[in-house]
Amino acid sequence: MFLFVLRRLIGGLPTLLLVTVMVFALTRILPGDPARLLLGEEATPELVAQIREELGLNRPILVQYADWLWGLVQGDLGRSIRGNEQVALIIWQKLPTTLELSFFSLLVAILIGLPAGVLAALRRNTAADASVTVLALSGISIPNFFLGILLIYLFSVRLAWIPPSGYVEPWVDLQKNLLLMLMPAITLGTALAGAIARFTRNSMLEVLSQDYVRTARAKGLEGRVVVYKHALRNAAIPVVTVIGLQLGGLLGGAVVTEQVFSIPGFGRLLVDSVFNRDFPVLQAVVLISALAVFLINVLTDLLYAAIDPRIRYH
Amino acid sequence: MRQWLVAVVLWSLGGLGLAQTVTVGLDADPPNLDPMLSSALVDRQVQNQIYDKLVDLDENLRIVPMLATSWRVEENGTVYVFTLRQGVKFHDGTDFNAETVKFNLDRYRSTPGSRRAGELSLINNVQVVNPTTVRVTLKEPFAPFLAILSDRSGMMVSPTAVQRLGAEFSNNPVGTGPFKFVERRRQDRIVLARNENYWQRGFPRIEQLVYRPFPDDDVRVANLLSGAVNIITPVAAKDLAAIRNNANLVVNNFPGIGYQGIWLNHTKGPFTNKALRQAFAATIDRDVVDRVVFLGTALPSNGPFPPGTLAHDKSIAVPKRDLALARQKLAEGGRPQGFSFTLTIAPGPVLAQLAQVYQAMAAEAGIQVRIEQVEFGTLLDRAAKLELEAVAVGWSGRPDPDGNIYDFVRCKAANNYSGYCNPRVDSLLNRARTVRLPEARRDLYSQITKIIQEDLPYIYVYHPQTTIGLSRRLSGIPVIPDGILRFRGASLGGQ
Repeated sequence: MFLFVLRRLIGGLPTLLLVTVMVFALTRILPGDPARLLLGEEATPELVAQIREELGLNRPILVQYADWLWGLVQGDLGRSIRGNEQVALIIWQKLPTTLELSFFSLLVAILIGLPAGVLAALRRNTAADASVTVLALSGISIPNFFLGILLIYLFSVRLAWIPPSGYVEPWVDLQKNLLLMLMPAITLGTALAGAIARFTRNSMLEVLSQDYVRTARAKGLEGRVVVYKHALRNAAIPVVTVIGLQLGGLLGGAVVTEQVFSIPGFGRLLVDSVFNRDFPVLQAVVLISALAVFLINVLTDLLYAAIDPRIRYH
Repeated sequence: MRQWLVAVVLWSLGGLGLAQTVTVGLDADPPNLDPMLSSALVDRQVQNQIYDKLVDLDENLRIVPMLATSWRVEENGTVYVFTLRQGVKFHDGTDFNAETVKFNLDRYRSTPGSRRAGELSLINNVQVVNPTTVRVTLKEPFAPFLAILSDRSGMMVSPTAVQRLGAEFSNNPVGTGPFKFVERRRQDRIVLARNENYWQRGFPRIEQLVYRPFPDDDVRVANLLSGAVNIITPVAAKDLAAIRNNANLVVNNFPGIGYQGIWLNHTKGPFTNKALRQAFAATIDRDVVDRVVFLGTALPSNGPFPPGTLAHDKSIAVPKRDLALARQKLAEGGRPQGFSFTLTIAPGPVLAQLAQVYQAMAAEAGIQVRIEQVEFGTLLDRAAKLELEAVAVGWSGRPDPDGNIYDFVRCKAANNYSGYCNPRVDSLLNRARTVRLPEARRDLYSQITKIIQEDLPYIYVYHPQTTIGLSRRLSGIPVIPDGILRFRGASLGGQ
């Protein structure tokens, strides 16, 4: 098991190196000069040249890349072009926020998606099944920004129950933190809930038609025990895979959701750093996102073993 | 369920009971709080509360004392002698005096990479006469000098803090202003607290000022409507009705000092031909632009100087739409059937709408406008290299007229995106800088405006106004045309 994890982690290194090459190349292909954007209205040709020099942007691109990679190896992510802060510090401030948002979104998704999927499978071809299918499709299809604005208008502007946007750290004010997380988590969680519901339904249906389920029923086991003890556990493997895959997608959704709810997380950071051509920040955000997706995949593999004793890693 | 939710909300609102906190919604996160390194407009919203300036502007754009209580201009306009306010301290306890003024001006004009170096380049030297007197010598007379000190170049930062913090100063700014910096979280909030030792007794009135960025117009206005913020700047024209219809809110209009319009490239494409420039310009109906796109919140423009500023000349008419003239000019330019060109704009719903209005107007004279949207950084880059045929870029404006024109239409000026070059205009521009009598300056700028209306390096279309939305409970915020909200005298009533 330990060896398996180690092998997977080492196996991931070439991928991550490829990501560094790609992110570096992509940021440099982006049109728009960071120095010019930084200076905005005040730009004069001399000042632009001076700032480019200062930022090292007029060095050969390979030198810039090597420099960045060398810093990376030493754990130095550089300084933000825009705000002149340590990139590592910025990431350190933003990451927990997005992790919290992802956690709550996942919670929302599982709490809604899993029971809905099981229900649809058990009541196959009934009105309940059809409703779950429709709701799941809506959840997947409704764009985050639309749902987000809708929630804000309903619960903040019309009903005035929840502040429309913002973020408070949980250690500053836990109640406010949870309250503010509610709408973003629902916005971000619904798409995932839809996917989970559909996969749970299909997976459950397949498992329910298996011989061992029939056997369990024939033994006279209670319906609930059959469903939750035997069927659900076996149905869970594909569902876990889907959740693992979709977690990467959560980050994409977080970009929009954080924008709508003014949450100072990774997604906002990504958008802002693209707009400002803040290369050091942009590179770090993309690299860490890639790392996160990679780690989630390793974690998903480990979860399989926990769920299904037949799967063992050596 | 509903009761439970209400209970949760009330419980959580309990934690919000901070008295006299004003929360301000901005359209962007201020990038840099060090005046020396700041180049974004939005920075000034926050900087103006943290730092005092040597002089300030009043509602009529007149220069009024701030940290300098008075000044004398000597030697034909090349020497400025400032008398400084006594007993002022920076937030970190450092004394404000002539030494600190010298430190600041020297820092701005000689630190490599300083964004202020350009506007202070005419300073020859800064001398400390005594602790409350500073003497600034210029290389030549420069009429806009005081106006420049009413903005970032006149902001006084604590020398002790700069020396102690170095590059980190911009993240821990220290000034003498009515509010002290407390903390910032990028893209989330900037928190300022009342400066208890502010030199103006009884000010500021509120205890805390929180700035929050909301780049999305809908989200910004939703936060105002729900009461989560007390004031937002700017308000998108489409959101004005929502605020006006709310009994707790009001809309205030700030007359602007900038302009918006279209650069026409004199070196490339159809606009090398003067008659074709005039033909296109004649198709534009400035009143329609104001009504349709800005719902009456913009001012049709006759040139670079908006009404209410020193150089504005009422006798120069706002050009009217004239299709007959447009057709005549097309014939004159050898293209009676019309022509086509590409108008480059930055992305954004309002800009796109504006461009479509131009497009529709020009089409009626047979001029086909292709609209090209290019991301802002690229747009500036290509415009500066004169690669675009026509480009819509405006200017936020400066209180002195020089700041609205000198760097734009002069031959080879930094922001001249048309490649325009007219020695007569250059000589008038340079004269206007050295003359100090307002009437004489206005006359020079009027002459320039008339030449530009004819030559058309730029079509001045409208002067944007800053529209703010705020709670009725919030009062004491002066309407100063630079668009900066000053919270020194602000108070929250009804609590």
